[in-house]
Amino acid sequence: MASELELDKALSELKRITGITLEVKAKTPEELELALTQVHCLCLAYKEKYNKNHFLQTLMTDGIPSYDIFERASRLHIDAEVPRVLFLVETKGPIDDTIMEVLKNLFPSQSKTYLVSMGERNLVILRPLKTSETPADIDRLAHMIVDTLNMEALTRVQTAYSGTVETLMDLSAAYRETSLALKVGKLFYSEQTIFPYNQLGIGRLIYQLPVTICENFLKEIFGGEVPRTFDEETTATINKFFQNNLNIAETSRQLHMHRNTLIYRLEQIERRTGLDIRRFEDAMTFKIATMVINYLQTERNS
Amino acid sequence: MASLSLKGIQKIYPNGFHAVKDFNLDIDDKEFIIFVGPSGCGKSTTLRMIAGLEDISGGTLEIDGKVMNDVEPKDRDIAMVFQNYALYPHMTVYDNMAFGLKLRKTPKDEIDKKVREAARILDLEKLLDRKPKALSGGQRQRVAMGRAIVRNPKVFLMDEPLSNLDAKLRVQMRIEISKLHENLGATIIYVTHDQTEAMTLGTRIVVMKDGVVQQVDTPQNLYNTPCNLFVAGFIGSPQMNFMDAVVKVNGEDVTLTVGEHVLKVPASKKKPLIDGGYDGKTVVLGIRPEDVHDSETFIANSPDSVIKSKIKVYELLGAEVFLYFDVEGTQMTARVNPRTTLRTGDDAVFALDMEKIHVFDKESELTIVN
Repeated sequence: MASELELDKALSELKRITGITLEVKAKTPEELELALTQVHCLCLAYKEKYNKNHFLQTLMTDGIPSYDIFERASRLHIDAEVPRVLFLVETKGPIDDTIMEVLKNLFPSQSKTYLVSMGERNLVILRPLKTSETPADIDRLAHMIVDTLNMEALTRVQTAYSGTVETLMDLSAAYRETSLALKVGKLFYSEQTIFPYNQLGIGRLIYQLPVTICENFLKEIFGGEVPRTFDEETTATINKFFQNNLNIAETSRQLHMHRNTLIYRLEQIERRTGLDIRRFEDAMTFKIATMVINYLQTERNS
Repeated sequence: MASLSLKGIQKIYPNGFHAVKDFNLDIDDKEFIIFVGPSGCGKSTTLRMIAGLEDISGGTLEIDGKVMNDVEPKDRDIAMVFQNYALYPHMTVYDNMAFGLKLRKTPKDEIDKKVREAARILDLEKLLDRKPKALSGGQRQRVAMGRAIVRNPKVFLMDEPLSNLDAKLRVQMRIEISKLHENLGATIIYVTHDQTEAMTLGTRIVVMKDGVVQQVDTPQNLYNTPCNLFVAGFIGSPQMNFMDAVVKVNGEDVTLTVGEHVLKVPASKKKPLIDGGYDGKTVVLGIRPEDVHDSETFIANSPDSVIKSKIKVYELLGAEVFLYFDVEGTQMTARVNPRTTLRTGDDAVFALDMEKIHVFDKESELTIVN
């Protein structure tokens, strides 16, 4: 059953988006329910017709048929054929007024940049591309968004960005692409804050594989016993060995350990996993396998 | 202002990457601390943990004696200036500086007071009505600093704030930041990969590598008494010269042999080599470019530390000359007086100031003698 409070909330929402003040008096609960539905419908109809934010939101989530996109965009005075770039921002906590104000002022209305809320912690910045702008400029812009939100809104932010969105017809695909970049980035490159759609490396491949294929891959490599994790020392040794391009002398020097100690550790890993990571092929398999293990663990946890 | 304490701080990302390992540091009120190290050494991650922008995986962070591990960034009383700052393009300098305070609903007269005070400190008073487009790079940087200053925080956190400026402007801004520290009496933590910036700004420097603190000391001590080969090579420009040398102990005499050159170790530096049992072992000899001399008087007074080579490159920098040459296959640099007569291709004789040598263990890379 609808309550007076809900009706009041709906009326103030109507006032916020349309400027129209309505007074509704309902004598019975049924009338109240009916009034609430009608006010909701009014809000929705208004948003559909006049609200750019709602239009872009629906467009990105595939809610608008392609034949309708240009017409509705033109009604809302959105140029459908301007090349744009899409930044998907995710904040640690809910997006509050401070974050919105910082972004609104960073991209003032005359810059024709749209800020579209995509949930409690996600927001899309759809910005027109200037003809002179290069991929390096876009990357700088992404860093600028992250750093400014860090500095001004004092909040942790991660951002993914798309390639060029030529027309609004491509917006939905760009949003999907960027959402994927954000997910893959958080999973495989969690130490970073910016994830360009075209720099996801092998993480993108692994993420798109079905879980069963990943599990079979691990079984094929490790047999029945898939190592869950390695201890800190082993992980550090492996990471350093990979960083030094499988160079034993350099790795042992950097880890301040004797060459034979390093070789012993690598042999221990081979005994445990069956992979001799001194060989390029085994090292590559090992690297991919550890990424798959991490991916499956995260999938299970989520 | 504030003091900070970092005890056993760790950062392990969900993908297993161990970015910071057992970071321990006490920072006093009004200190200017620099985190320096090569890219990926964990310096920015540590700063971001202090800011609250990254979760702390282990250890304790205290600001003014209060544990801050789980406190939201906005409640830590900090202000940040990062590399990719942006000014609000349609606002004046005044509004740019006041914006953060307006968002926090600070009373107007208080905002005005704080903005004007920050503008005075930063020498921006005459530019308050200008828009960012009408400012130079250095002025914009000062506005970004101003936005942090008006918050009147306990701690300033700066992450490579000068990286996007050209070389000349960086030197100018370095001086400005140094003055700012003096004027504000603030606790500042500053991240840079540029050792010149670190040396000129910091009261203490934290040198990091692979997520591990290598040494924490004053700029002077880091330069004169590095604790290992990495610090010795990282601090100083041009960097310290390194050569492999074999230690020979003959009664009271200790020598270092580099190929055909035999260098006599002075009395003040012998003991650790004898006591450490380095006789017959290969060590790494380090000497700063300014301690390699080409003057005839110095060479005549130092017959036991002479090396000979051919000059490969002569570089005149105005007030000094860098001479590049090889000793036993290792490239060396000498920083000499511009009046030197040596030129590219000349056979040269140099003498090392053996009182200034550093000796490192080849295996552990730790300092044996400073």
